[in-house]
Amino acid sequence: MKKLLLFLILLSSMHKLYAQELAVSGTVKDNKGQPIPGIVVTESERNTSTQTNGEGYFSIKTSKASTLVFRGIGYTSQSVKATSSVINISLVESTTDLSDVMVVGYSTKKRSELSSAVSVVSGEKLNDVTSVSLGTLLQGKVPGVVASSASGDPTSGSSIVIRGAGTINASTGPLYVVDGNIGGSYNPSDVESVTVLRDAAATGLYGSRAANGVVIITTKKGKSGETRFSLSSVVGFAKATTGNFKLMDAQQLYDYQSTFFTPAPASLNNNTNWWDLAFRNAMVNNHTLTASGGTEKSQFYIAGNYYKEEGTLIDNDKTQYSLRANLTSQLTKRLKLTALLNGLYVNDNYNSAGTVYQAYLNLPYDPAYNTDGTPVDARYGTWYGRDRSNFLHSLQYNYSKARSYRTTADLNLDYNILDNLTLSTYNRANIYNYRSSSYYDKRTKEGATNNGSAYLGNSFSSTLLSSNRLKYNVTFGQHNLSVLAVGEIEKGYSDSNSASAKGLPAGRDAFSTATDIINNPTGGYDNYQFIKYLAQADYSLADKYFAVASVVNEYSSRFGSNNPDATFYQLGASWIITKEKFMESVKPISFLKLRASYGTTGNADGIGYYASMGLYNINSNASYAGLPGAAPSQMANPDLTWEKSKSVNLGLDIQLFKRIDISIDAYQKTNSSLLFFRELPATTGYSGVYENVGVIRNRGLELNITSKNFVKKDFTWETNFNIALNRNKVLEVNQGRSEVYAGASQPIGVGHNMDEWFMPVWAGVDPANGKPLWQNSIADADGNSYVLYTNTYNLASRVYTGKSSAPKFTGGLSNTFSYKAFTLSTFFNFVYGNYVYNTSRFYFDNDGLYESYNQMQLANGWSRWEKPGDIATHPKPVFGRSDASNQTSTRYLENGSYLRLRNVTLGYNVPANFAKKLYLQNARIFVSGDNLWTLTRFSGTDPEVDLASGDSSIKYPTSRKFMFGINISF
Amino acid sequence: MKKNIILAAVLTTVLATTACRKEYFPSTQIDETSALTNAGDIETATIGTYALFKDLNYVRSGHFLTEFPSDEVAQGQNSSDDLTNLYKYTHLINSSHASLFWSQSYKAAGAANKIIQVIDDNATSDLKQLKGENLYIRAMMHFNLVRIFGRPYYQNSGDNPGIPILKEGLTDDQKLTLPRSKVKDVYDFIIADLIKAADLMTVAKTNPFASKEVAYALLSRVYLYQENNQKAIEYASKVISSGRYALLQGAEYQTYFRAAPEGNKETIFCTRHIKTEDRGYSAIGSMYYSGDANGVAQNQAFSGWGEIYASKKYFDFLSTNPADKRLSFISSYKVNGVVQNNTKLTPNTPMHYINKYNLQEGIVNLSSPVYLRLSEMYLNRAEANAKLNNDQLALDDVNIIRTRAGIPNYTIASVAAAGKSILDVVLEERWLEHAFEGQRAYDLFRNGRSMIRNYPGTHAVSGNVNQTVTAFDNRVVSYIPLTEINKNPALTQNP
Repeated sequence: MKKLLLFLILLSSMHKLYAQELAVSGTVKDNKGQPIPGIVVTESERNTSTQTNGEGYFSIKTSKASTLVFRGIGYTSQSVKATSSVINISLVESTTDLSDVMVVGYSTKKRSELSSAVSVVSGEKLNDVTSVSLGTLLQGKVPGVVASSASGDPTSGSSIVIRGAGTINASTGPLYVVDGNIGGSYNPSDVESVTVLRDAAATGLYGSRAANGVVIITTKKGKSGETRFSLSSVVGFAKATTGNFKLMDAQQLYDYQSTFFTPAPASLNNNTNWWDLAFRNAMVNNHTLTASGGTEKSQFYIAGNYYKEEGTLIDNDKTQYSLRANLTSQLTKRLKLTALLNGLYVNDNYNSAGTVYQAYLNLPYDPAYNTDGTPVDARYGTWYGRDRSNFLHSLQYNYSKARSYRTTADLNLDYNILDNLTLSTYNRANIYNYRSSSYYDKRTKEGATNNGSAYLGNSFSSTLLSSNRLKYNVTFGQHNLSVLAVGEIEKGYSDSNSASAKGLPAGRDAFSTATDIINNPTGGYDNYQFIKYLAQADYSLADKYFAVASVVNEYSSRFGSNNPDATFYQLGASWIITKEKFMESVKPISFLKLRASYGTTGNADGIGYYASMGLYNINSNASYAGLPGAAPSQMANPDLTWEKSKSVNLGLDIQLFKRIDISIDAYQKTNSSLLFFRELPATTGYSGVYENVGVIRNRGLELNITSKNFVKKDFTWETNFNIALNRNKVLEVNQGRSEVYAGASQPIGVGHNMDEWFMPVWAGVDPANGKPLWQNSIADADGNSYVLYTNTYNLASRVYTGKSSAPKFTGGLSNTFSYKAFTLSTFFNFVYGNYVYNTSRFYFDNDGLYESYNQMQLANGWSRWEKPGDIATHPKPVFGRSDASNQTSTRYLENGSYLRLRNVTLGYNVPANFAKKLYLQNARIFVSGDNLWTLTRFSGTDPEVDLASGDSSIKYPTSRKFMFGINISF
Repeated sequence: MKKNIILAAVLTTVLATTACRKEYFPSTQIDETSALTNAGDIETATIGTYALFKDLNYVRSGHFLTEFPSDEVAQGQNSSDDLTNLYKYTHLINSSHASLFWSQSYKAAGAANKIIQVIDDNATSDLKQLKGENLYIRAMMHFNLVRIFGRPYYQNSGDNPGIPILKEGLTDDQKLTLPRSKVKDVYDFIIADLIKAADLMTVAKTNPFASKEVAYALLSRVYLYQENNQKAIEYASKVISSGRYALLQGAEYQTYFRAAPEGNKETIFCTRHIKTEDRGYSAIGSMYYSGDANGVAQNQAFSGWGEIYASKKYFDFLSTNPADKRLSFISSYKVNGVVQNNTKLTPNTPMHYINKYNLQEGIVNLSSPVYLRLSEMYLNRAEANAKLNNDQLALDDVNIIRTRAGIPNYTIASVAAAGKSILDVVLEERWLEHAFEGQRAYDLFRNGRSMIRNYPGTHAVSGNVNQTVTAFDNRVVSYIPLTEINKNPALTQNP
């Protein structure tokens, strides 16, 4: 490593004189003669660039005979030879973004040259919804990308699955690549674009860890020209959505309970709405200030962001401060330096009192406040609810919070050894520190038994990564070949500690005030390493035929001593059919391209660092009576190796009438050697062992349509529609077994969708007696099977239900209208055909089993059995019933399909001359609403769940937001 | 020049990343190949075997499985925990407690096997002691499993299905498909282990650890369950006459479970939980008691769930002698001196909290559950003598326990006058003394007696407080966990 740096320093001192200089200036206008600001002008010889100002004016130094390229979003690029000192250009509005340059893996390419299934979302489109979670922002915007969040808590994240999950224990999340290197941090407000790589030809270079797709985030860079300041401010309110869900009030609960139990008459003395006490109108703030600009040689982009989202739940919020500084500098004619720095500081406030749980389950019979207005301490006196908890009392003193700090620093050097040979070194350090603390005052229920308690957790992680790349380009005749070789090493380290204390004076949370500890302190550290080599050749003929081939070898310290490394390879090809002579006559089709790719990738995440080793645990769990011990904790599997994914993709890009762009992709992705913690019979002495088992296949279709429905001077209307369907099937589980988790509610069975539900089938209510019924399938001696019905839960047959937590299809629909200075955009996303297990109904829809939890009101179409002959959905309530009516069955398995209006935004661009009076370059104001409307049959508060688990348990629902914003630049 | 640069560039690229490959090891785990290489390691690993059954899944689920189907406890309100099913005799085939207990038991037995097989029977006395401790643990694991999942020994003379025997030296394939052995074969295996363990152990370790007398004490119980009365007497006597233990007296007895266990002269073996192992609401004691650290009872959910009470049946029986010192193990929740009722059920359930699993070293939910104590040896011997018709010998031992409790002694005449048999009074005394210690259900069923639960609690359906479970009821034993049958089809299910 040191050698490399020394070498590069030497290189950077080797200057060469430039060729003859020439200053070129001019104006860029559109076809209506209006000046266009923000057009990037790049000079080919020295690779410098500038940007047009508010009047469309630019000036740049070039050398004679070099070429100027003019690029801007929404315009067709143009190249002009720099032959005179004044060049005025008229750019044509592009009806397509086929010429857009996209960041793809280790290189950038024009969309038209790609052989892969790749989607790009611009920073602007990404940030229409207000959030700092990428999953939330991406939802419904890219076909085949399913984002879901398990909670409306602003401190919790969301998960992203690309083209269906194909793994069992390894991670299902994609690999994130920020500014060219694996990992790294960013703030969504600084994102220039997000590129999602979906097929193997594109993800292949990240080979070993790219089996779940790759999300490439490119942050904004400065452009030469006048320094430009811009401010973006969004302020708004959020409220929790409650969907079809309604809790009972005191009278309703009393009336209901009176049918099976004798509630105390005094319970009607109160009618507390715990939900309303737990949730609030929350405020959201998002402010970004940026400065960007630079000279021909050096450009900068500096941004500061403040984001604060209050949870719709009380005592819950997230505050994030971020700074980004991106600097690029052409040190010499041949040496370019890029330095990127991002710092994120986050304060999270978790609610410390189990408030969501209590909002659902506390009884309306119990009072929240004393007559003097102070919160009731539920531990004392009459209290009907089971848990004797009043979060309002606890939250007076207790807290649970965290602060974290993340820094990513990149130093990249690109050296053009020859005009067509570049040596690059990309280096990154990533540091993350997280500290959580919580405090439970001795005056509260949570802190009383320990006489006041406090907990502290600290964790630190760092990754160091160096990626060194050699790129070679050659053109001969119509042939173009570029070759890439990369050597990359990543080293990771992490450590963590936690401690607890008790015996703290009331109101004192400092550890030093404690008199004793609760548990033993914990702590430990981990290391890992990845080493990767790859080579890629990219070939094109006459800008018509394209082919790409690559091979990757990677080593990981996580795998067994027998198989720590693996080799992956990828192939891709594409053909622009419209460039053929015979297509010239087919006028309606302005662009047609066929793509095909095949390749293998790997997966190594999610199994921990030492999954292959046979281990004895020596942490304090293995200690006894105060003496240190060692207990067997993991069975060895030295053969453990990379999970491998083979995928094939066929794609078609079509442009009709120069205004409708259609992309269709069909794929098959077969994951084998799945990393999996195989559960073993207890008599082995272990819970299980990590193995490479089984094969899972995902097949799917993705469609993306962008149509400029209407393009007139004052009015435009653009529609984007995307839809993706994925079919998942488990093809094989090792050792001839038929399922991975025998008997589990999602067993991952051969021949089934891996997320298919397996449980007793609820058969409704016996009309004769109001008892629950389940199906009991039996087979006679001849193999004929019959379905019988039983009142006995233990006799109910557990079967594959044909229902899965994975959606049948997902997608989004956006419409953007602009009329003069106004723009209106609407964005819907939909998820269809998935089933959600509504776990919490165990508590709040329990048919009388528990009288001490509040109950939900029956949803539309539901009814309770009252008398013989009733056809009802709910059994006759029986107090303390022992027939297991609320145990796992299809009874609580609900259709999770939904259509949601994710966002509506109405914007207004302040006219340029008015803005100028305010000394502004431009100004835009907008109002926006998130999650305003949802269509679903799901009975819970929110159908949006983590689709991997498909489970809705004491759900913190997502929020409906109303935002007001302003963007100005000056 | 250019060629050199290209060469240098290529070399650099390769050099920069040809950093040597490294293999990393965890910081809180050690490689198994280095875990048992010397005597010191084996001692550490033996501590680890104890830790495996100190685990919540063993201690808590095991307690619930053995104790809650008894007539000395009353559940005052329905709970969403699977423990409700154990209490009500409505066991589920996918019972979480059965499944957790089963797998944790075999983890401990498996860990013991690893040590048992590396120590030669002619090793040093230190190593033999460790081998003996592991044999004891393995026996204890199997005994508790066969109690919970196998029918009482006397039924069908132990010819009913028991549990898989996990002995050392099995191949991986054998462990994957281990079938259930018969109850009698499991007992033979346990007895052989315990006899060998007692033989190997020579160090008088403190009561959190196994030693010779601990193995003797468990042998006494196992023989008693097996109806081998002579042997039960022999081993109970060995423990009593060893002089290592003494019955606690007076105030010390009344706060038996509150001090650190090592100093307790009566405890033979307990599962030690140190001060930093307070499990809070997940502790056994959280189910039994809710109150402050001084032992003053409060409302439910004050410091614990506090929803399993001493049953009215037990409390009334214990209160027959108001001077009985064992009333100190009940902390009834009183307001203005009046015992409160849990009004969730009709009839209401009186809130007699139990404090045998709380308040150790001043921590509300801390306890080191006692598995064997000297009083049981007297009562084992008494029961065996009663069955051998040595009536006076039986009463002598019963009276030792009654004297300590501060209540009147029995004579053969007074027993007869009360219309009871000698065995009746032995079992009654066992009930009074060892209530809430996971013994009552077994004491009744292994003697062919029925469990009569004629008191308020959630087991009562529609206010009908008469639940009788005979010794031949299917649910005298738990279902084999469904998940285990799914993983190992060689396992057969209990009816």
